[in-house]
Amino acid sequence: MSDLEVEKLIVFGRELRAHGLSVTPAEVVTATTALQIIDTTDREEVFLSLRSILTTSIDDFAIFEDVFKRFWNSSHSLSTSTAVRIQTQAPRQTSKGLGFFLENWSNSFAAGAQPVKVPGASDTKSATEKDFSEFTNEELEEVSRLARRMVRRLARRPSRRWRPVKRGHRVNLRRSLRLSLKTGGELIELAYKERRPKRTKLVVICDVSGSMDIYSRLLLQFIYGLQNSFAKVESFVFATSLARITGDLKNKTYKRALDRLSSNVHGWSGGTRIGASLAMFNEQWLRRIDKRTVIIILSDGWDTGEPEKLAASLSLLKRRAGRIIWLNPLLGSADYAPVTRGMQAALPFVNVFAPAHDLASLRALEPHLVL
Amino acid sequence: MREEVKQIQQMLEEQIYIADAAIATALYLSTVLGKPLLIEGPAGVGKTEIAKALASAMQTRLIRLQCYEGLDATTALYEWNYPKQLLHLKLEESSSASETEKEAMIFSEAFLLKRPLLQAITEHERAPVLLIDEIDRSDEEFEAFLLEVLSDYQVTIPEIGSIKATHRPYVVLTSNRSRDLSDALRRRCLYHWIDYPSLEKELEIVRAKVPAINADLAKRVTEVMQATRTMSLSKIPGVAETLDWANALVALKAPELNEEIVAETLGCFLKDESDVAAFKAELPRICTDV
Repeated sequence: MSDLEVEKLIVFGRELRAHGLSVTPAEVVTATTALQIIDTTDREEVFLSLRSILTTSIDDFAIFEDVFKRFWNSSHSLSTSTAVRIQTQAPRQTSKGLGFFLENWSNSFAAGAQPVKVPGASDTKSATEKDFSEFTNEELEEVSRLARRMVRRLARRPSRRWRPVKRGHRVNLRRSLRLSLKTGGELIELAYKERRPKRTKLVVICDVSGSMDIYSRLLLQFIYGLQNSFAKVESFVFATSLARITGDLKNKTYKRALDRLSSNVHGWSGGTRIGASLAMFNEQWLRRIDKRTVIIILSDGWDTGEPEKLAASLSLLKRRAGRIIWLNPLLGSADYAPVTRGMQAALPFVNVFAPAHDLASLRALEPHLVL
Repeated sequence: MREEVKQIQQMLEEQIYIADAAIATALYLSTVLGKPLLIEGPAGVGKTEIAKALASAMQTRLIRLQCYEGLDATTALYEWNYPKQLLHLKLEESSSASETEKEAMIFSEAFLLKRPLLQAITEHERAPVLLIDEIDRSDEEFEAFLLEVLSDYQVTIPEIGSIKATHRPYVVLTSNRSRDLSDALRRRCLYHWIDYPSLEKELEIVRAKVPAINADLAKRVTEVMQATRTMSLSKIPGVAETLDWANALVALKAPELNEEIVAETLGCFLKDESDVAAFKAELPRICTDV
């Protein structure tokens, strides 16, 4: 093969990379080898061969076909376009936002069992069906308990892998036999094994913008419950930017946790930038996410930012995470349809899209948390 | 098209596998370059069939490893034959062999149970086809382990040492995309995507695989299946279902397709209660349209 063709392939690989495909040098090397053993006059065969080598998923096919078409027809004049990604930082506005909510929450919490909204609503509806927006503080406690119970059950779930243990119910034959050699082949000392517990990690990202106001207080209670259990939980809140609240929630009474939140979280706006907030999450936390991680996003999907940014962040997240669950409190009302631009952009990347407006809906969440 | 690619296509057709240029090219490259072939696509489009057809076309053994969650080295690679080891130790009880000698004895190849991966590597006559089915159902630990085996076709058993492949197996991996595979594994493989076949191709498959079916019925069956796939169902029937259905119709000696016969036999290709209901609602339309 001529040097020209090798060079052409290298440029082709670079062009694919510029369009977002991840082509490694090793794959280009394979491609050059392949060109030597196929009929290079047959355009179809070249196309099929290079595609099977240089793509790694059907998602790449459209881009590949596009680039291939342009490249192999006019192989000389190649635009040296490299995708320049300009990162636009969301302008940070300051307003009373979350801090304000938190202060009020703390106050109403301290004030005792006084209904949050619509006094007397608990007389007509059972607690499990009642909308969160109508909850009393006692019922808030129930939310916390539910969250703790759910996570505790999760942590106990056995996986299908084994680990050696000192005492157990299943005999580890491999070890036992080895031990028996010491006693001349007599099985005296037995080794055991048991199922490794499943280590599901939870990441909760909660929308606390103005539109979520009536729900966030409940959902934060839920997150507080999750956080104070045995499982590995990381929690975050966002409105226009992201804040990690794992430390603020951990091992404190709910009241003190809220106090800490209101003093530690500043500079929030009433608007929502889900896309920018998730991009921020990806930047700082993506490497900690793996296939054992379940990500729960609590938001109503009202996004004042770009839907494309939301889609891009979610698609990145989806590739790394085990599952993405989007809980939308609005989904609980019969006449709601997820037509907001943000929600529309998000749906393709979400594994589970469920309501989160009452206790029953949170309870229904449990099976989805098991990977 | 290169002669060898055509040959592969012909060889597969002799095994009653209708192969297009894309899959023939992919198989050709995979065998010549010695790279595993990763085949993705919806359930029931014949991903597994490719490996089977390849094995019989090359007149070699097919070694299959079915993946599932929690699959680990002891089920995929090797395991010691414990009952045999125990028995041997009992028999040797009165012998004067030392502990080390006994240990070397029972941890030797004679006491090794070869699982699919080890079988594929130690096959001595000719390179087998190793089918790693539904790799997306295994967990990530296994994927990493597999990557190691596939990179140098060599495994290490602590008690025995390294075992290197006598012949490099032809490796075919299939995935239903129930989870994303790691980039590392994808990079190591050639990639091929199989979609539901076109009407013409599916008809060809039906006639090749169910020779007893008459031409009209085959066409009608295929048309109904193609129409069914355009409906929004929770489980879209694959080619396997088409063939099941065609076989059922032949067995029932159905002369033609009418609403009644379709309703009686739709269990062959619809495996979900709500899908059956949705299909029945559309049944008159589907039966008259096609």
